[in-house]
Amino acid sequence: MSKEPARPIEHAGLDALLHGYLPTQGVYDEMIDARGQIRPHWLAFVERLAAEGPNGLSARFEAADRYLKDSGVFYRVYDDPAAGERPWPLSHVPLLISPEDWKVIEAGVIQRAELIEAILADCYGPRELVKRNLIPAAAVAGSPDYLRPLVDAARSGQRHLYFYAIDLGRSPTGQWWVIRDRTQAPSGAGYALENRVAISRAVSDIYRTFDVERLAPFFDRLRAELAVVTEADDAGVCLLSPGPLNETYFEHTYLARYLGIRLVEGMDLMVQGGAVYLRTIRGLRKVRVLLRRIDGDFADPLELNSRSQLGVPGLVQAVREGQVTIANSLGAGFAEGRALLGFLPALAEPLLGQSLKLPNVATWWCGQPAERRVVLDNLADFVIAPAFSRMNGGPNVGPWVMSEASHAAHEQMREAIGRRGIDYVGQEVVKLSTTPVWSNGRLEPHPFIFRVYVGATANGLTVMPGGFALIGDKSDLRAVSMQKGARSADVWVMSKGPVEQVTLMPPEKQVVLRRAADALPSRAADNLFWLARYVERAEATLRLVRALVWRISERREQNRPDMHGIAELLFRWGAAGAIPAHGELVRMAQAAISDQQLDGAVPCLVRAGRRAASVIRDRFPADAWRTLDDLDRYVQRSIKGPIAEGVIYEKADRALRSIAAVTGFQLETMNRLAGWRFLKLGLRIERAIAICRFTRQFAGGDASVGKGSTPEELDLLLELCDVQATYRARYRLGASFAPVLDLVILDDRNPRSLVFQIKSIQEHAEALPLLPPSNRPTPALAVANRLLGTVTALDPGRIRSDDILGIENSLMQLSDEIAQSFFRAREPVAR
Amino acid sequence: MIYAIRQITAYSYGSYVPYAAHVLRLVPVAGPSLNVIECDLVIDPKPSEYVVGKDFFGNSLAHVVLKSPHSRLSVESRAVVELLEGPAVTPEGTPPWEDVRAAAHTSARLDPRSPAHQLFPTRHVPISPELLAYGVDLFVPGRPVLEAAIALMTRIRQDFEYDPSATSVSTPTVEALGLRRGVCQDFAHIMIGVLRSLGLPAGYVSGYLRTVPLPGKARLQGADAMHAWVSVWCGEEAGWQDLDPTNAVRAGRDHVPLAFGRDYADVSPIDGVIFHSGSHSLAVSVDVVER
Repeated sequence: MSKEPARPIEHAGLDALLHGYLPTQGVYDEMIDARGQIRPHWLAFVERLAAEGPNGLSARFEAADRYLKDSGVFYRVYDDPAAGERPWPLSHVPLLISPEDWKVIEAGVIQRAELIEAILADCYGPRELVKRNLIPAAAVAGSPDYLRPLVDAARSGQRHLYFYAIDLGRSPTGQWWVIRDRTQAPSGAGYALENRVAISRAVSDIYRTFDVERLAPFFDRLRAELAVVTEADDAGVCLLSPGPLNETYFEHTYLARYLGIRLVEGMDLMVQGGAVYLRTIRGLRKVRVLLRRIDGDFADPLELNSRSQLGVPGLVQAVREGQVTIANSLGAGFAEGRALLGFLPALAEPLLGQSLKLPNVATWWCGQPAERRVVLDNLADFVIAPAFSRMNGGPNVGPWVMSEASHAAHEQMREAIGRRGIDYVGQEVVKLSTTPVWSNGRLEPHPFIFRVYVGATANGLTVMPGGFALIGDKSDLRAVSMQKGARSADVWVMSKGPVEQVTLMPPEKQVVLRRAADALPSRAADNLFWLARYVERAEATLRLVRALVWRISERREQNRPDMHGIAELLFRWGAAGAIPAHGELVRMAQAAISDQQLDGAVPCLVRAGRRAASVIRDRFPADAWRTLDDLDRYVQRSIKGPIAEGVIYEKADRALRSIAAVTGFQLETMNRLAGWRFLKLGLRIERAIAICRFTRQFAGGDASVGKGSTPEELDLLLELCDVQATYRARYRLGASFAPVLDLVILDDRNPRSLVFQIKSIQEHAEALPLLPPSNRPTPALAVANRLLGTVTALDPGRIRSDDILGIENSLMQLSDEIAQSFFRAREPVAR
Repeated sequence: MIYAIRQITAYSYGSYVPYAAHVLRLVPVAGPSLNVIECDLVIDPKPSEYVVGKDFFGNSLAHVVLKSPHSRLSVESRAVVELLEGPAVTPEGTPPWEDVRAAAHTSARLDPRSPAHQLFPTRHVPISPELLAYGVDLFVPGRPVLEAAIALMTRIRQDFEYDPSATSVSTPTVEALGLRRGVCQDFAHIMIGVLRSLGLPAGYVSGYLRTVPLPGKARLQGADAMHAWVSVWCGEEAGWQDLDPTNAVRAGRDHVPLAFGRDYADVSPIDGVIFHSGSHSLAVSVDVVER
């Protein structure tokens, strides 16, 4: 007599959950077997989902989405607002992999990594495989990622693959297949981490119940490996990114933070005497390891693609000199070509003495007569795809499913393959397996590709137990149609035994501690400085706009000196095209706050600030970034409806509050920011310049300040310097010359006074690093000292307009000196 | 035939360049058809780093770094070379072009002179239907490869006008094809593009022409600057045969090769990155005198 399982409630839930879950006939489903039974490693998990009920599940999954949104993952990566937010949005139900399957996959991908390593070593070294007729020369030479300057360049034994990804699919028989190899600079590991964090939070109790292999140890091992090759005084390991315009830039910042390494771009680096250096505010620091996220061909404009603006001139020479390790090696992308897939199975034996554990998609390279004949004789059975990772120069085309192609397309294809079979491979049509996806309150089977990551450590290759599943559209089970519109799901590798509970949270403190002692890259300092200047300038412009529209709406007469002064200032700052005729001041205010073309108008200033911040996102507080991003979106939005002072006032006022929040976040989190001194210097210099300009405009007569200024102008000066309240509390009289000037220029207890700014500038300048090689202070310090002397010696009753102009000029000089000493002011120009 | 070659390349910049890194491909390398008797490279101002080596195709490559501010750069290369006569290859004696194509596609050589490197699209030379259409009718079945290639060369000479103002270094090859105008670089790229679109291997040669023509001969087009022509692979036996589409002649006693590659990008005489935002101007003078 068998015991009935005592789960009546769950069963009811199970039926509801799985109702309508109908895997396609003849396709392997990950959750349900051919007899309709739940596979053992899914059972407990599915029961837990069922127990939640549809509403409970929806609520949990929404929480996961919120987490991703809040952590900034959803923020758009291109400046184009229409561009995608994230390459692969999250699909909530994880893919569960049984321990048995995982054993097969793990052994298979490690073997494959070794095989590809051996092929790379041969093709960039002795080239025996070609000589022995195991690979045709054209199957190697045809790859645009076979980088000839790297042939014989590396020291023998130097590894090529440090980080490698494989796209797997499962055939109807249950066999795992390799669909593509990713050897250039595989992306997605960072997204896998985020997916895990999001899902494990949303269903933390469920996640904890199951023995799911943790991802953290994989990254810990990589981190340990990187630490080994770093020496004390170096810049250490750097992640070389193409920059914020790249679609996976978010992942670069995320991984750099997580691994505790620096995020750099080509412009940060230079090659000298065959070694690679990072330019920092303390001089050059040697770089020994570069985790490369730019394509190999773009890495060196001197010897590789001369059009590249992303690379480091001389990098290939540094590789030749053995002074830098690049992971993956330059040229490793060549192994991504589909042409190679046709030869890999036959190469395992001679290179490894083993047969291939994981098969790849059956592939015929059409450059060889026999293979070409196989493909052409049965063209309709094949998918035809480009033989190499990308078509040189041309658009990325194919693959073509020939069974769906027209007669004319068949003829065209035959002709093309007949002429240049070297450009094409024929591949078997691969059907993928399906895995459950939460959709409209129930589960549906969707096809997927499982991306697995392999990393190299001193103790050999290690596989990330997880990865991510690219989930495709429900209706199309073919591997070829997986690219567009895919979502990603977390992958849970189920452990046989209990797993150790390791946190996945980045060791933030550790990272910050290292950062604090770091020498800040010059470009980061440059961007922090200019970020502050742009934001501060936007603030000053907004104050002018707000003051102007308020006066327009308050007064009948528009031709007053204070209003005219604002118009002049806006014009001179480039915030308005021309000083308008009377009565059109409101148009000018509108231009200053909403014109997208004018360099000095608020949208351009905020956009410039955002761009500077985007470059240093790895060292910029997430909250400040988000506030700045919101502000940017807000000011880029055009004002709807007819022009009205009230609307402009409201917009300026709201933008000013946003800026206060950005500045507030920066102050709050200041200590977390290496280089905050540059941020503060930028802010103080810009503010001091604004005070000077306001003063000259509204309290500057021909010879001496204050002569001929109207009370309205002095009052405006107080407003622009944000000290009206202080003034009124102190002097119970209308705005008059000497007290106003004292408060605006000389009162060192007023945080918006000129002297306050200059004192602060002087303190920061004193704390700046000494300049190599002779450890002299930056010339900016001398300028700051002189400025402080000048300002404190001023007599409020006798300040001349020329004095203020002199101070303003010194402030500009100070800014130049800082740039000269610490930033790379010049951009490389390829010619 | 012995030639003395002198080339001066002079840049002048609108403002001071604080830092520059260059690679120079200006020194000839000895080969089966070239004997280098002497060569010299003078760089002014004197570079702070200077490393010489060879690139993948065997061309000489000098890495130069200038770390002190300079407002001009001049590179003078001088060489005395001897042109050696190779075995005569008659066009009719070369294999049918289809056989040459098959041999190139299945080649088991990956050395610098392997035809496999010269089959694929490169930065300046795409594979395109337009390029294919321009020459496909000349490649009738069974026609000896060199004969067909010479016919293509002749067609380019007839159809195109030499016009330095029509194109620049960055004019796409297919655009130059449409213009039916250009300079040696365009003609070479077009001819290579047609051959590769047919599946045949063809490479790019940069070099010099003698400045003063032999008695009774016309002065060749492009003799006052660096020149470029095409190398066509004609099977393992005949190897690489050089054709000059600008002048519709087989490269012979008047053509002194300097560098070999897949297109201009591989042999560009001076490449570099300068930290500079202003304008610059360039003057090149070339003298090739028979000794």
